[in-house]
Amino acid sequence: MSYFFQLVVSGIVVGSIYALSALGFVLIYKSSRVLNLAHGQIIASGAFITYALTVWVGIPIVISFLLSMVITFFLAMSVERVFLRRLIGEPIISVIMVTIGLMSIIDGIIYMTPFGAGNFSFPEFLPNTPIAFWGVSISWTQFVGVIITFIMIGGFTWFFKASTVGISMRAVSDDQFASMSIGISVPKVFGLAWAAAGLSAAAAGGILGNITGLNFDVLHSFGIIVFPVVIVGGLDSIFGAVVAGIIMGLIQQFAAGYLDGNWGLNGTADVLPYIILLIILLFKPHGLFGIHEIERV
Amino acid sequence: MSENRWLATGNFFTSYKAEQRIFLTHVDRVVFIGFLVLMFVWPLIFEVGNKYMLVIDSILIAIIAVYGLNLLTGFAGLISIGHAAFVGVGAYTVATFAQILGSNHVLLTHAWPLMIVLAGCVGAIFGAVVGLPALRLKHLYLVIATLSFQMIFQWAINFSKFFDQGQTIAIGRVFWFTGKVVRKEHYLFWYYVILVFVVVLGFAVRNLLRTKHGRCLVAVRDNDRAADAMGMHPGFTKVYAFAVSGFFAGVAGALHAYMWRGVGFESFMLHHSISYLAMAIVGGLGTLMGSFFGPVAILMLDLQVENLAEFVGHYFTALGDVSTAFRPLSFGLVIVLFLMFEPRGIANWWRIIRTYFKLWPFRY
Amino acid sequence: MKNKQITIMLITLSFLLILGFSTQVLAGETYKMGLSLAITGPTSDAGSPYSKGAEDYVKYVNDEKLLGDDKLVCFIRDDAYKTEATKRNFEDFLDEGIVFYLNYSTGSTMALKQDFEEEKIPVIPASFHAGNLIDSNYIFLPIASYSSQAVGLAEYVAANHKGSGKAKVAMFLHPSAFGRGPLGDVKKAIDVGLGIELVEVVEHGKDLDNTAMLKRLKSKGVQYVISQTVQPPVATMLKGAQSLGMIASTYGEAGKITFLGCHYAGGPGLIALAGSAAENYYWTTSYKLMTAKGPGTDAQLALAKRYGRDAKLANDSNYTNGIMVVQVAVEAMRRAKAKGKKVTRENLHAEMLAMNGYNAYYPLTTVGPVTFSKDDREGVDTLQLYVAKGGVFYGVGLPFVAEYVQKIK
Repeated sequence: MSYFFQLVVSGIVVGSIYALSALGFVLIYKSSRVLNLAHGQIIASGAFITYALTVWVGIPIVISFLLSMVITFFLAMSVERVFLRRLIGEPIISVIMVTIGLMSIIDGIIYMTPFGAGNFSFPEFLPNTPIAFWGVSISWTQFVGVIITFIMIGGFTWFFKASTVGISMRAVSDDQFASMSIGISVPKVFGLAWAAAGLSAAAAGGILGNITGLNFDVLHSFGIIVFPVVIVGGLDSIFGAVVAGIIMGLIQQFAAGYLDGNWGLNGTADVLPYIILLIILLFKPHGLFGIHEIERV
Repeated sequence: MSENRWLATGNFFTSYKAEQRIFLTHVDRVVFIGFLVLMFVWPLIFEVGNKYMLVIDSILIAIIAVYGLNLLTGFAGLISIGHAAFVGVGAYTVATFAQILGSNHVLLTHAWPLMIVLAGCVGAIFGAVVGLPALRLKHLYLVIATLSFQMIFQWAINFSKFFDQGQTIAIGRVFWFTGKVVRKEHYLFWYYVILVFVVVLGFAVRNLLRTKHGRCLVAVRDNDRAADAMGMHPGFTKVYAFAVSGFFAGVAGALHAYMWRGVGFESFMLHHSISYLAMAIVGGLGTLMGSFFGPVAILMLDLQVENLAEFVGHYFTALGDVSTAFRPLSFGLVIVLFLMFEPRGIANWWRIIRTYFKLWPFRY
Repeated sequence: MKNKQITIMLITLSFLLILGFSTQVLAGETYKMGLSLAITGPTSDAGSPYSKGAEDYVKYVNDEKLLGDDKLVCFIRDDAYKTEATKRNFEDFLDEGIVFYLNYSTGSTMALKQDFEEEKIPVIPASFHAGNLIDSNYIFLPIASYSSQAVGLAEYVAANHKGSGKAKVAMFLHPSAFGRGPLGDVKKAIDVGLGIELVEVVEHGKDLDNTAMLKRLKSKGVQYVISQTVQPPVATMLKGAQSLGMIASTYGEAGKITFLGCHYAGGPGLIALAGSAAENYYWTTSYKLMTAKGPGTDAQLALAKRYGRDAKLANDSNYTNGIMVVQVAVEAMRRAKAKGKKVTRENLHAEMLAMNGYNAYYPLTTVGPVTFSKDDREGVDTLQLYVAKGGVFYGVGLPFVAEYVQKIK
């Protein structure tokens, strides 16, 4: 029984990191209808910036974490300004391809730094002993990661519900022309959406870097796992992203825990998110919490 | 006034049939035949090393794969990030025969044209299966569904003992009427074979767009409810698009298997899917000429960047990191710049040049 | 006056040109080798130092004239771990006329096996996968294969296991041919009497969290985990095990798990990734480590300093690898020359096969001699066990040879 609980707890831990990554994704989609395939790369750059600030500049890790969030905020905003501003109104395929191109460009930029090849790990700032309760144990870094994730999710939810800027972003995602007529600056909102996504990406990267160590390949492949999470949750629902993230984390842990090793299966945790994705899409073509679009001719 | 069949500055069609001709003027046809002759004859005149033959063969195989992707994404409007999986299906069909019968079995080495067509059919079947979600999903959800097929394909190959768990499965050398195709002639031989396929399949694609089925694809892309109202079946058309695209990809995959003399799953990964998509877009989505320009541009770019990176790495070793960043950087930049400034791809340039010559001496 | 100046210039220029050409003619022959590896992309943390090691040693050979008047040229190309690029590079090298080839990844070595056989060119890959030696006559592994390493580790486990019953061992493998290779040979060794019990074989994915796997292994009573994969997954596993308090602080500590790993599953890079979680990690390889001072390490540091490499690279174990493979190739060339034979592929191949007994080659960079023969195309058969203490790997015991490898042949 404690094995089961261990899996549940690990699943929630991993799932909340997925949720944090998916959050940024959904933010961008919600306001500008852009599928940002370069999100994994932004997460990676957030992680590397945190590392650079901590180890090379010598700032204590908590402050460098916050600082890297600010830096990635502006980084993402400038990416939107430079690359995506021209593509407002182009067909969706062009926009997806531009983000794919961006993916390669950011890859290239990271390769130019020493981070592209090589392993780095954050200096350890939390105790190494596990936190154990009821036969379940998690590490301090994971625990802190979950706390940060929920703080950020709570923060974003409040932001969208209660603050003026947040409400204007929701208005833009709903109907661009109507919000323009009220006086909301649509391009500014797009920039803000990307910037907020960069913020959450940097947080996710920092947490991830602490848990797995900084190796670009690992962070690279992490970027791909975000897609099933986002789609299952529904592309335009923040709540959906969180729920889907945790569900995916749980599914992966259960797969690794119960399916691997039996019937000659191995590595099912990698493929199960995609299979679950397909099954869910069969019944709910817009994801679990996505808004069912009623298209008007 | 009778129309001039040799030169036509502008549009002088007097019947539907005339408008649907593949070669609008006789000059077009002559130039095309001349070009074909050139393509078949130049290897006999110029000797190129194996490496360049390999690259040229790869470009031609990519052209066939991009035919399929262009049909799917350009003409039917269904974006797919799983194309490399279809190509992989074709290659693994050949590999299945190799595993069951042995890599030098008669069926593989002598009946290879049959194997290639068979791989195409298997690709079509898989395409139809993957296309089924298209009946319910739209746009971005469909994109991610194709992505998940790509990932499932990768996992399935990697973990199945039958396919050697992703390791390279060897394919033997083939026999032609003159005997076994040995190492020295291998790339040249396959150049001709693949070129024949490119030409034949190119005509097939061009012809498809003249027929009812092709027009169905375009109609469904533009507005599937209106197409439904006109009596076409959008769901069936979408599945059909996936199947046809799967056929082309399967053929490309089988040719890939034969040319590389081995099938390993590393040739059919996600970044290859992205590469195919980039080729389709940079070439020009929705045009036949785009399928030619795209692969040539992207693969030649890759090659030149490799040379440049090696040059920089050799003579400016301090910049080692920078030189190795060239490849993803150049790939990304090319895609982004094309999309920002020339979203209709290289085929647009071709169209402009061609129109200039066609309308000369008139300006428009 | 102007005409005279021009004439003088032309004469000087043509003189220089003739001189330039003639110096080439007088300079002796050029021997060409090729190396295609992943300088960027996956596993480039190993590939990049490897390429620099090879490059520096080639420069050293030319500067010190180890081949007399002849020059050694090594074409080094990046293939970013893609088999297609490796094949393309290989074809290019063949067009250049190489006599020796150095490869890198397991996948491409297996894929190009047929080509090596047809071209009859001796090859040394950076992959010690035992499957490379099946159905091929031209592939030479520089050190003991992964299978030999895994069997060697298993033998150490069996020999040093305290406590009742057989040692319970699990294997942690990379999901590819590279990872799965040793499994078959370990199972064969168990069949002929190796005293361990293989409880479970785990092929990892891209897991962020190995808690489930570790707890499962614990519940099955696993005491030793032998890893055959690359460093990042091992680091993730070690960090997970540390947070669960599962890592043994001394060898074979009861109730905990001792982690061991083959060549690419360890090394200073692992300590950089895993930090304190790598404490008491056991690792085996045939290369000497920079932390064990000796003539080999001094030579390596001197080489790095001579060509302006930083300290991190100079101490990297992959830098050693790169140096060593070129050493073996150059040694074969030197021997062929000494016997008065032309440096061609067949002669080099023959020299490689003759490198045994009194003709074994002792590079300073490995713990034992390089021996090749018709039946044994694994170079250095001796292995050294290292353990990580205080962030540094120290040697444990003397170099050993895995006995069961002979028994399962």
